[in-house]
Amino acid sequence: MKSLLKNILSYEEKIRPLRETILANIVLIGLIPAPTFNETSRGDLLLERLAQAQVDECTRDEYQNPIGIIHGTSEHKPPIFLVSHLDTFIDKDIDHNFTIKKNAISGPGVLDNSTGVGVLASLPEIFKALDLTFESNIVLAGVIHSLGKGNLQGIRHLLESWESPIRGAVCIEGGELGRLNYYSDGTKRCEIECIISTTEGWEHKFKPNAILVLNDVINKILTLRLPQRPRARVIIGKISGGFKHGIIAYNSALGFEIQSDSDEMVTSIYNKIADIVDGLSHEYQVDIHLRTISSVNASTLRYDHPLVKSSVAIMKKLGLKPVSEASGSELSIFLSRKIPAVTLGVTHGENYHLSDTRVEIEPMFKGIAQVLGVIKAIDSGVCDEEHVA
Amino acid sequence: MKNTWLKKNTYHYSDFNDLKQLVDIKDKKNLTISLCLPTLNEEKTIAKEIVIMKSELMTRYPLLDEIVVIDSGSIDKTCEIAREYGADVFDASDILPDYEKFKGKGENLWKALYITKGDIIVYLDADIKNIHHRFVYALVGPLLLTDHVKYSKAFYDRPIAVSKNVMRATGGGRVTELVIRPLFSLFFPELTQILQPLSGEYAGYRQIFENIPFPIGYGIETSMILDIYEKWGLDMIAQVDLEKRIHRNQDTKALGRMSFVILKTFMDRIENLGLIDKKKKMFNDMIQFKLENGNYLPDISPLSVHERPPIIEIPEYARKFHPESS
Repeated sequence: MKSLLKNILSYEEKIRPLRETILANIVLIGLIPAPTFNETSRGDLLLERLAQAQVDECTRDEYQNPIGIIHGTSEHKPPIFLVSHLDTFIDKDIDHNFTIKKNAISGPGVLDNSTGVGVLASLPEIFKALDLTFESNIVLAGVIHSLGKGNLQGIRHLLESWESPIRGAVCIEGGELGRLNYYSDGTKRCEIECIISTTEGWEHKFKPNAILVLNDVINKILTLRLPQRPRARVIIGKISGGFKHGIIAYNSALGFEIQSDSDEMVTSIYNKIADIVDGLSHEYQVDIHLRTISSVNASTLRYDHPLVKSSVAIMKKLGLKPVSEASGSELSIFLSRKIPAVTLGVTHGENYHLSDTRVEIEPMFKGIAQVLGVIKAIDSGVCDEEHVA
Repeated sequence: MKNTWLKKNTYHYSDFNDLKQLVDIKDKKNLTISLCLPTLNEEKTIAKEIVIMKSELMTRYPLLDEIVVIDSGSIDKTCEIAREYGADVFDASDILPDYEKFKGKGENLWKALYITKGDIIVYLDADIKNIHHRFVYALVGPLLLTDHVKYSKAFYDRPIAVSKNVMRATGGGRVTELVIRPLFSLFFPELTQILQPLSGEYAGYRQIFENIPFPIGYGIETSMILDIYEKWGLDMIAQVDLEKRIHRNQDTKALGRMSFVILKTFMDRIENLGLIDKKKKMFNDMIQFKLENGNYLPDISPLSVHERPPIIEIPEYARKFHPESS
């Protein structure tokens, strides 16, 4: 680890000459729309990039996740996984225009996650330029069906079908540089839909308004008492409904997420919300449906796990201040399968999920150096004796 | 009219996706290739074009030998950004400074012939939003893979970015359909097979470009096709489908000024060929009208159609590129 920390300072400058390759990969990937369930073309490009970089094996798994495998020097060491999700929240009809300026790239989805995928696609060439070799096989995976209703299906299938043990994993996200995620909350992502029949019926003297019904649901959710321990919260994230200003709304929808570091607490809150929905459905005589879109179990590495400690040491050596919070991404699937893993961000950015998202170019070199350091740490064996808590 | 040329000389960019093959042939033929980007205030798009071309066609596959930006005096950060990403940047007014100075795309392309070193020169507009390296390798492909093609031109779908995040699926090419196509149909029906004669992306051998005159402004694409057709025939021209090119939407008045220059260039050409006899000299001002405070006021744009001679006739050029004959 000492020699790794000594070498890592030189990585940043050695990566810098590959700037055009990295930026071109980010932009070419970002130019291809990839809303969840429509990631095929973006996956094709990732595979093409990996093949051009002469990655030893380039293929798709049974679930169609594009994968590249760089053979390691040892036949006995389990592989190290590097993953980035291919899908974005950006609709395919949005103009996927990217702009590169002197120190920034802007464009829809550049932070989440064409920068992550672009860096993943560039890693084989970066390994070559830095003359980095590994004992383990390096598995580069652009996973599909991650976000929203995708429910992390790509990474779930990839790990389910991977028969041999996995040594460790790094999940690569565009932003934010300095993040170090090593635990994930139990999460339930849900939708409540309220539909009021447009035909007249005997049960309604006065037609209820779907938006007001949903408003009542929200107010009742807000009265729920959430504990400090275990941590728990309900995030109201999306709302829609109605047709026009002067007409009673016949439909409305609410998207929310329950998060807690206890799976039991998530279930308990979910049941309470289900009771609220049932109650209001009877009270208003309307159809209200509660649906679970996705769910993830709580899982964590201990804060003193060698992978976490090594990652912190690498980040600090590079002058980064590690910031840890729960992450609900691919990380949670690795951790739930007892595979040591962390999520790292590559650079700084702003306007995270807006169409004019922007990422800074200069910090990327440090962000990539940090990723290389963590891969090297895993390859040196920091995860070999420890297990996920 | 037979459309044999269309069938024989029309390609799709995917015909040239084997970049290694293109590089091998380029090396075998001992050729060099230059990319020229004429610019005027293109800070939003220039870096992306340079980064992608440099990464894909210089680092990954060494198809290009240089990327040259010829700027017409941008007041934004076009030149600074282009230099930052490794292009050779020149102010057009500094090239061949002893000659009268003009501003315009054609002027930049003409001067690029003096600055660039390549046997093949690729010209790309610098405002392509969905730039991809196919814009270069697909134009170079027919020049390398065939012996008869010496000049290749792009065509594509032309969706228009109507506002920041809204695309219109079809459109664009309005000047082509309303001005050039009718003129070609009237005078050179064979040339109607060129699907987008006004596309700003083309490539050719230096021997072609150095032997034709260059109008300094919008007329360059029209004159280039007419001159190459008259001098060498249609068979040495190819066209390549690049599928989609997203460009900025131009208002009707701007397209009107463009059409004025194209019409004038065309009329001069067909007069020189003896196809028409103009009884009167044409005017140089495009007159449009604007509404200001309830009054219609003339909005006059002087649009002279000045032409640079074939650059091979310029002594400085001849000394640099043909020292044996000069």
